[in-house]
Amino acid sequence: MTDRIVGALILALSIWYGITAGSYEASFGDPLGPAAFPIMLSIPAAVLSLALILRPDAEPKWPSFWPMMRQAAAIALLLAYAGFLEVVGFPLATFLAVTLLGRLLQTTWPKAAISGAVMSAVLFITFDYLLDLPLPLLPEFMS
Amino acid sequence: MGFLDALLQGFAVALTPTNLLLALFGCFAGTIIGALPGLGPVNGVAILIPLAFSLGLEPTSALIMLSCIYYGCMYGGRISSIMLNIPGDEPAIMTTLDGYPMAQAGKASEALGISAVASFAGATFATLGLTLFAPLLAKAAIHFGPADYFALYVLAFATIGGITSVNPFKTLLAAFLGLMVASVGLDPATGTPRYTFGSYHLYDGFDPIVAIVGLFAISEVLVYLERLNFSDARMVPLGRALPRLKDLLSGGWANLRGSVIGFVCGILPGAGASLGAFMSYIFEQRWSARDGKFGKGDPRGIAAPEAGNNAASGGALIPMLTLGVPGSGTTAVMLALLISLNIQPGPLLFDRQPDLVWGLIAALYIANIVLLVMNIPMIGLFTRMLAMPQWILMPFVVMVSFLGVYSISHSTFDLFVMVAFGVIGYILRLIGISLVPIILGLLLGADMENNLRRALSISNGDFTFLFQSPIAMGLYALTATMLTIALVLSFRRSGKAENA
Repeated sequence: MTDRIVGALILALSIWYGITAGSYEASFGDPLGPAAFPIMLSIPAAVLSLALILRPDAEPKWPSFWPMMRQAAAIALLLAYAGFLEVVGFPLATFLAVTLLGRLLQTTWPKAAISGAVMSAVLFITFDYLLDLPLPLLPEFMS
Repeated sequence: MGFLDALLQGFAVALTPTNLLLALFGCFAGTIIGALPGLGPVNGVAILIPLAFSLGLEPTSALIMLSCIYYGCMYGGRISSIMLNIPGDEPAIMTTLDGYPMAQAGKASEALGISAVASFAGATFATLGLTLFAPLLAKAAIHFGPADYFALYVLAFATIGGITSVNPFKTLLAAFLGLMVASVGLDPATGTPRYTFGSYHLYDGFDPIVAIVGLFAISEVLVYLERLNFSDARMVPLGRALPRLKDLLSGGWANLRGSVIGFVCGILPGAGASLGAFMSYIFEQRWSARDGKFGKGDPRGIAAPEAGNNAASGGALIPMLTLGVPGSGTTAVMLALLISLNIQPGPLLFDRQPDLVWGLIAALYIANIVLLVMNIPMIGLFTRMLAMPQWILMPFVVMVSFLGVYSISHSTFDLFVMVAFGVIGYILRLIGISLVPIILGLLLGADMENNLRRALSISNGDFTFLFQSPIAMGLYALTATMLTIALVLSFRRSGKAENA
């Protein structure tokens, strides 16, 4: 079933991809133009996704409930980290992210917090001072 | 003998203090990355590419460091195969078959020693092959026109899954997905924005490095979170501190046989180190296992796949450097690095940047010796790394990935893109769609389209031009043969599965 759903999604994507390509106009001196190659890609991609729908493999083993919750929490955490990195500054964001990830990986609060503190300090010093990559130090409202 | 002079010149480049230091660092870091389960060569090289940028390295130095990491990973992968029965990376899977039983029998240090010697044999053989064959292939490839390059890319995509992939349809589909992703951004020839949804963030398209880090490193963390409950591997004791010389060499001729097979597998487009290890082991089993010791700790069963995967990874550098078409996932990542540094690999590289090519080759000879030294007397250090808890390792990988990507562009948009690629990568891995063809598509898409358009402007839009050169025809014939073999094998396999 998963194969069929993914196949259907890719089929829809290929059709949209091919149709969108059709709207790109060719210019002079370039016989092929910007549209031809995407259209050439969309057709075999659509055919292959049909093959996925018609001849799916055995159902893959999806993670069970709790592992999937952990993954969802991790994804939410990573997105939040990406969003808040510049808002709250690198050290604080990294401390929180590493601590919470450590918790998701089933270690204790103290261990997770220590690894968070050490990692954010070490990475900040390495990248900001040694490698000369400016990182946001303080939260936005303080700097 | 032009190439001896060139090689000497290469050693002069490789032996400068910076490059030597980077090579040592690469060997050390690579062995650790290879040894840690879940951090394979693709991940390792991908998350360290941003480091190469931020250090502001010369292209030659960056390539030397990453190639040494790559070689180091191939050495390191065997360590957790033997000690934990968990392959450190995919090519090391075959090493578990005889390596772990031997370690269980109290001969862990012998198994590690044999495999270190085998890794050295394989990698040195491949580096010799690289020295001899790469310049020849580069000379031949100078005659390639746009139509031939287009045919070459078709061959690469058709065969990337190799004959080992379970479902060739999925592999091909992955290649098309990569090519589709590659077309996002401004069309280089006309400036038309394609699939950008009007967002200026997408005008340059997706940065391959951001996509690679997401697809491999972030999805690996998700995979790990799923399997959390199953990890209760026990490490076997190391045994003797130093194996005896006689034991070290007990792999015997299997070292050489594995090297030859692995090297050939490595050169073939898209096959890579996993296939090299697999074919070497199977061949060695047929060749020498008359006494039924294979699978129970036969030294030849350790030597052959280790020689095979190391030789294959060296071999895979040949098509990457001479044709710009990588033969494996990791070389694809290295290609991404070169492209980002504005270096176009291909036949002209040998003429225009001999220092880069020969410096790299010389560095690989040095790396092999360094790695052999690191992996026999210092092996205890690396086995201790295996005890590193995942709640430290995984957050570290995540943070280095984020930092690396952020350091390239200073844009949080790229961070979101990376996470999105991570989730997509996880789902694709779950349903058995290989990620390497996606990367290859993403990397080569623009070039493939350019060559097609160049060929058709030469011929004024006549498509038969694509099939006129003998080189292109030969490549298409090879493509058709390889595809047929892959399809036949896959149908036979699924037939067998239904009968069983």
